[in-house]
Amino acid sequence: MRLEVIFKILGVVLLFNAAFLFIALVIAYSNQESSLIPLLFTTLTCIIFGLFPMVFSGKHEALSFAEGITVVVSGWVITCVIGMLPYLMWGGEFNLIDAWFESVSGYTTTGSTILNDIEALPKSLLFWRSATHWIGGVGIIIFVLLILPHARNARITLLNTEMSELSKSNFHYKARTTIQILIVVYVGLTLVETLLLRLAGMNWFDAINHAFATIATGGFSTKNSSIAYFENVWIEVIIMVFMLLSGIHFGLIFGTITGSRYNIFRSKVVRSYVVIMFLGIMLVALKLVINDFYSWSESLRFASFQVISVGTTTGFATVDTAIWPVFTQMVIIYFTIQCAMAGSTSGGLKFDRVYLFIKSVKKQIQLIKHPAGVFAIKMENKTISDSLERQTMLFVVLYVFTFFITTLLLTTMDIDLTTAFSASIATLGNVGPGFGNVSSLGNFDGLPNLAKFILSLNMLLGRLEIYSVIALFTIRK
Amino acid sequence: MALKLKTKLLAGFMLLVSLLIVAGSVSILEFMKLSTSFTTILENNYKSIEASKTMLEALEREDSGILLLLLGEWEEGRKILHESDKVFMEAFTVAKKNITEANEDELIADIQRKYLHYKEKWARPIVDTFKEGNIDWYQSNAHQEFIQLKTSINQLMSINQESLYEKATLLKDNGHRAVMPSIISIIGAILFSLLLNFYLNQQFIFPLKKLIKAVKSLNQGDFQVQSSNKNKDEIFQLELEINQMLKRIARKNDSR
Repeated sequence: MRLEVIFKILGVVLLFNAAFLFIALVIAYSNQESSLIPLLFTTLTCIIFGLFPMVFSGKHEALSFAEGITVVVSGWVITCVIGMLPYLMWGGEFNLIDAWFESVSGYTTTGSTILNDIEALPKSLLFWRSATHWIGGVGIIIFVLLILPHARNARITLLNTEMSELSKSNFHYKARTTIQILIVVYVGLTLVETLLLRLAGMNWFDAINHAFATIATGGFSTKNSSIAYFENVWIEVIIMVFMLLSGIHFGLIFGTITGSRYNIFRSKVVRSYVVIMFLGIMLVALKLVINDFYSWSESLRFASFQVISVGTTTGFATVDTAIWPVFTQMVIIYFTIQCAMAGSTSGGLKFDRVYLFIKSVKKQIQLIKHPAGVFAIKMENKTISDSLERQTMLFVVLYVFTFFITTLLLTTMDIDLTTAFSASIATLGNVGPGFGNVSSLGNFDGLPNLAKFILSLNMLLGRLEIYSVIALFTIRK
Repeated sequence: MALKLKTKLLAGFMLLVSLLIVAGSVSILEFMKLSTSFTTILENNYKSIEASKTMLEALEREDSGILLLLLGEWEEGRKILHESDKVFMEAFTVAKKNITEANEDELIADIQRKYLHYKEKWARPIVDTFKEGNIDWYQSNAHQEFIQLKTSINQLMSINQESLYEKATLLKDNGHRAVMPSIISIIGAILFSLLLNFYLNQQFIFPLKKLIKAVKSLNQGDFQVQSSNKNKDEIFQLELEINQMLKRIARKNDSR
């Protein structure tokens, strides 16, 4: 493994972070905030460590699979380490573990927080929190691939390691075009949402921050009471629409805009995803009405926001779902497990895998009935290979196993079952809020430091889709 | 990037030095702020709190002096009152010169006004007048003024205590912000040194070792040093020069 090649790409990762740190720095300087020095120091550290490998490394074309995996996994870890420095240096509610947790939660677009008073943070740090979402949303490596010069082969290897097989399924282009499409859709959605939120009544600062958090399906808000603070139906509707869009495969969104035949309306997976989401909303709303929580209109408003927020792994809140009936909580937990579509900015299991899993189960039942039969699974009119099917089934098993182990570890620290279970699944799925002590308007501050650390690893595992991490540790063997 | 070894080394060390300079400057700046905050706390609030405490103590003694006068102890009472008045006025002057908080000036003016009223009560004769032994006069006049004055001094102390607490919290944060760059730059410098060591090995030691091996193989009759260095740096040039030299030697040998 050529470490100098890996260091060079990691240097670019740091320089990309430095660009966003610089914007936060400008905000801190113009408002004369106490976060000025922490941001200045982190920016310079990023630049120094980013430039250093470039001084010594020459041009490198191809990357091996092992090098690709190392770049992707260590790129995420280094980014999270750098991301926590402004919090750690600023102090306030942040200690070492809390700063790490907040940083990982930001980059992995989980949106879980340890902060009791978000509004006490300077504006520059609030921006940095949202920026970590935006950098991590489409994947830091994807951004790096766009700016990495002279690296065609490296680009293909890195794209293959950063994006799963399912994520690439709706992109019918070369690696560079795929990356360009991802970025164009990502930036485009962010710009449009920012503008709409501003028109709906948010100020520019909140509009930009909430657009970053929505499109990245993150969930960090600039307000203690999240979206509930604004008490504005239009803001809720705009955020709901963009959460839903951000949970759909970006290739299909691009296809819809450009009039391609690979578009949202022709996709069976998108149709199933939306129908299931609609059913979830109706079930939750109905239960809320039956239990006399709210009127019909209010139930629909709150249910749709919460289900879409959790179902797309965003994690914004307009109400505290911890007080809702258990049935509605179970429906929301289902969406926490299911997550949104592959090829979007959402993390976790992904709806496509659930879809494929169900189809695979159907195929197995047919095989029991007709052992000599040949059955193929089709998704979006394409036959799914046996290897992809096996990979998906194994991923589902690994996913369940990981969240079971995490829950078990949390319960050893005397954390109640609801909190342990929902925190594990919400962090592995990069959703954010759970139930119990970590509900939609609550936070993770009350958990022991070790629990926070385990959950932060869970977030990284969820974002890196488990396989990459396993591959990194087993590749030499 | 075809940088020379000298440039590469210089650039590497310059980056390390700049990291340390930034960390050092940031820490010095934050420690200077910290020292200013300490001085501010001591000068602005602590002085006023101490002055308020002294005023309260003097006031209590003045109250005792009035009670002694009421009991007919003229000499003892007057002595206590004059001494306490002196102490009170000294402390009051300190507080008056040290107005730093919002509304503190109004409180000082209020204390001054109330104290003058209070002083009037005991400045006029008490012994051998109707006031002597008159507990009702004490309750409705002197004691009322005493309580009101005490409340105002307590308020003065309270706003300074609150401000002191706020500044102490800020001081804690500033202390944290002063120490953190140093800690992070120490860790950064260690990582940087490891990274530099890696590149020094990769760019200097390994190519030199290969070159030594290649030169050693000349003894076995191999008159060509195979270059493994991709960078067009000084070591690459050394390899070229050795090859040129070997060619010249080979040519001379052939001509003989």
